[in-house]
Amino acid sequence: MDYLIFSFSLMLIYIGLAQLLHIQFGLAGIPNFGVVGFWGLGLYGTGVLYVNYDVPLVPAIAIAALIAAGAAYVLARLILQKSGQAILAATLAFATIVALLVISEKQLTGGVIGLGTIGYPFGDFSERNVVYGGILIAVVAALIWVSARLRDSRLGRVLIAIRDNEELAASLGKDTAATKRMIFVVTCGLMGVLGGLSAPLHQFLVPYHLAPSLTFAVWIALVLGGKGHNFGAIIGVFLTFGLFDILIETYAPVPTEQAILLPNFKLFCYGLLLVGIIMFRPAGLLGEDGPHTRSGRDTPRPAPEPAPKES
Amino acid sequence: MQLHAETLTKSYHQHEVVNIEKVTFGAKGVEGLIGPNGAGKSTLMGLLTRRIAPTSGTIKLDTDKGSTALNPLRSHEVARIGLIKTNQRIQGFDSLTIRDSLRLAATAPSDEGIGSIFGGKRDTDEIEDQVATYLEAFPFSDRNGHARSGGEKKLVDILRCLIARPRLLLMDEPTAGLPDDITRIVMDMVRAKVAAGEMRVVVVEHDLPLIWEYCDYVHFLSEGSILFEGEPDEVKSNRVVAEKYMGV
Amino acid sequence: MSLLLDSVFIGLLQASPLILAAMGFTLIYYLNGFMNIAYAESVTYGAYFAILFNVVLGANFYAAIGPSMLLSGVMSVAVYLAIFRPALNRGVGPTEMIILSVGVSFLLRYGLVLVVGTENLFLNEPPIRYMTFLGLGATNLQLAALVLVFLVAGLLYWMIYNTGLGEQMRGLANNQELAMASGIDPHRTSVAIWFIAGCAGGLSGVFSGVFTQVTPYMGWNVILITMLVTIVAGIGSVRGALVASVVAGILTAFITLVTKPLYAEVALLLAFIGVLTYRGARTA
Repeated sequence: MDYLIFSFSLMLIYIGLAQLLHIQFGLAGIPNFGVVGFWGLGLYGTGVLYVNYDVPLVPAIAIAALIAAGAAYVLARLILQKSGQAILAATLAFATIVALLVISEKQLTGGVIGLGTIGYPFGDFSERNVVYGGILIAVVAALIWVSARLRDSRLGRVLIAIRDNEELAASLGKDTAATKRMIFVVTCGLMGVLGGLSAPLHQFLVPYHLAPSLTFAVWIALVLGGKGHNFGAIIGVFLTFGLFDILIETYAPVPTEQAILLPNFKLFCYGLLLVGIIMFRPAGLLGEDGPHTRSGRDTPRPAPEPAPKES
Repeated sequence: MQLHAETLTKSYHQHEVVNIEKVTFGAKGVEGLIGPNGAGKSTLMGLLTRRIAPTSGTIKLDTDKGSTALNPLRSHEVARIGLIKTNQRIQGFDSLTIRDSLRLAATAPSDEGIGSIFGGKRDTDEIEDQVATYLEAFPFSDRNGHARSGGEKKLVDILRCLIARPRLLLMDEPTAGLPDDITRIVMDMVRAKVAAGEMRVVVVEHDLPLIWEYCDYVHFLSEGSILFEGEPDEVKSNRVVAEKYMGV
Repeated sequence: MSLLLDSVFIGLLQASPLILAAMGFTLIYYLNGFMNIAYAESVTYGAYFAILFNVVLGANFYAAIGPSMLLSGVMSVAVYLAIFRPALNRGVGPTEMIILSVGVSFLLRYGLVLVVGTENLFLNEPPIRYMTFLGLGATNLQLAALVLVFLVAGLLYWMIYNTGLGEQMRGLANNQELAMASGIDPHRTSVAIWFIAGCAGGLSGVFSGVFTQVTPYMGWNVILITMLVTIVAGIGSVRGALVASVVAGILTAFITLVTKPLYAEVALLLAFIGVLTYRGARTA
């Protein structure tokens, strides 16, 4: 039961990360391949503050998220106006740097031995992980709601315009560089928050948590569900993490000798899914989801005859 | 608002494409820029919109707030000052509907911050009305959908620029790809805005009848230099222009 | 002085597989305009093919190099024909192509793991002799690798800049329509390039495998550095990739000698981000 709650909590974190990636890549067109780096700064930042400096959990998460946002700001200044492939490579490099520093700075992070333990903040022993799961649900639901509002907002419209044709958007007076930077810093900061929230889940932090597989898992989920759809992240995570890490791992009758191969089989299937989806349904299962205007003027109404103005 | 260029040159491999001693755009209402193929019109447009860096010389942007050099500015700063250019080649936002594309252009950047996520209605009635006025003036195949043909995309591009409240509008071959009747509606709109004192316009065009009809002043560019400037009738009857351009 | 010489030498030894991988990766990047993460598996499979010939079938290590390399090339072509070419024909964009290549990479890597397992394997090295070269110690195997890698790299370089195939490839990369109009068969040229790139990756894998060990993740471990080298070297300049990979190898060796190896990697990655800041293709 506890393990199931742990898995579901972890799934919520994945949904949150995929939702943030939907904003970054699906709306603004920023290919962030360093998801695990920003999440990891939040995770280890919280862990280090909590374990080594006795900072309570909530302020520790806040400070760690600010560190992640700060790193995102520096990275944004350096590479956000470069080509997509350069952004992709630089964010991937950034995540690798975070992982390497966590290994090398042993006195802070415990290096490969690990760092712990980080406890749940609320509730008594028997029910605290349930309470915590509830908090995670609230956080992720808020993220999804904000992301839907964003897509339908004036800011969201600018992001879509930048994704489609940045030069044209700039020529209409939009400060595209500042807009992208702002959205990148905020969303990376929120990835840091999710990292901080993951610290009590993992309890004991090891550098293995910072492997790029997290980045890829989130990307695969988003691309599978639909990068441009507000619910693409949820569907994608259900179909990957939910299906393999929860359903199959918990309920499928797999003989023990095959069980060790299961994670590899999972990643093999992820690869298969990703190839299939990009070849046959590149917009993802849910497809693209345009803005829903709140002013209601997009509903067709009897079009008046074009009236040429008198000249 | 005016654009001043002085001793402006652009050379490629020692070959001078543009060499202008002095020219001012935006002093009259609707100005035309004409010239034979290879006269350097598109290079000059590139220089004026900072797409191309000049070999020497400066371009200055004069507004009532003073004079600034154009080149150090970034694209959005130029647009915010009021210098906006329509595109000769088709440009667009593929995922935005025609209506959203125009709303985007009509919305002030200061209203597009993070606070707009939590506001109520996305677009004010004022913006909706503005957009509707433009949309209803033209026979789009689907006003609430996406621009379909090349002509519709080109038209949306021009309308985006008009609705973005330019002070000086550069129109790069507005007739290319547009049906005749649409061009006329556009140019009538442009002239009405200029007459109302909202903006000044520079039109680069091959379509001479359009230039003669709509322009108050015409610059004639040939071999990279401004050879003659004047009112349409003066330009039409000028011997140099006739020889070099109209093949008389 | 000796520190510098040491790091140049160690750098060259370390860089030798990297140079091959960077060149192969660059070829594909240049021809098709996307970063093929699945190229990592050309490296990994090269090493596993060597395990097949050298350990399972018991062939001499040097005899195993050639067939392993060729099989890697064949696999690269197969993946191109089955997945990447259809995707390119459907107009999949560059970022989506990278994601697709991540999928292909997972498919190949974990497919391999399902067959051979995850334990580390070792190639049977030829008898090792220590030699001194310009006062620096190295094994005969290291020197052989260095010579062979530079030979192959030189051959590739010559092929790209001095042969018909190289010219066709450059033509296709610059303007496919024009190239086709002037009689270049894009299909044949692409297959040839993917084959050569796969061979280079396979060879790189064989040598990284014999220097350390063979694991399903070895290709992935070099792909990030390969990617960065390629981007820093500029889009698809093989000349640039060659120079950048040599420089990266020497730089890593130098930093490793003066500090901890982890810091060497961090410094190298920071340097790459710095270079991207100045060199990465710019948008608006």
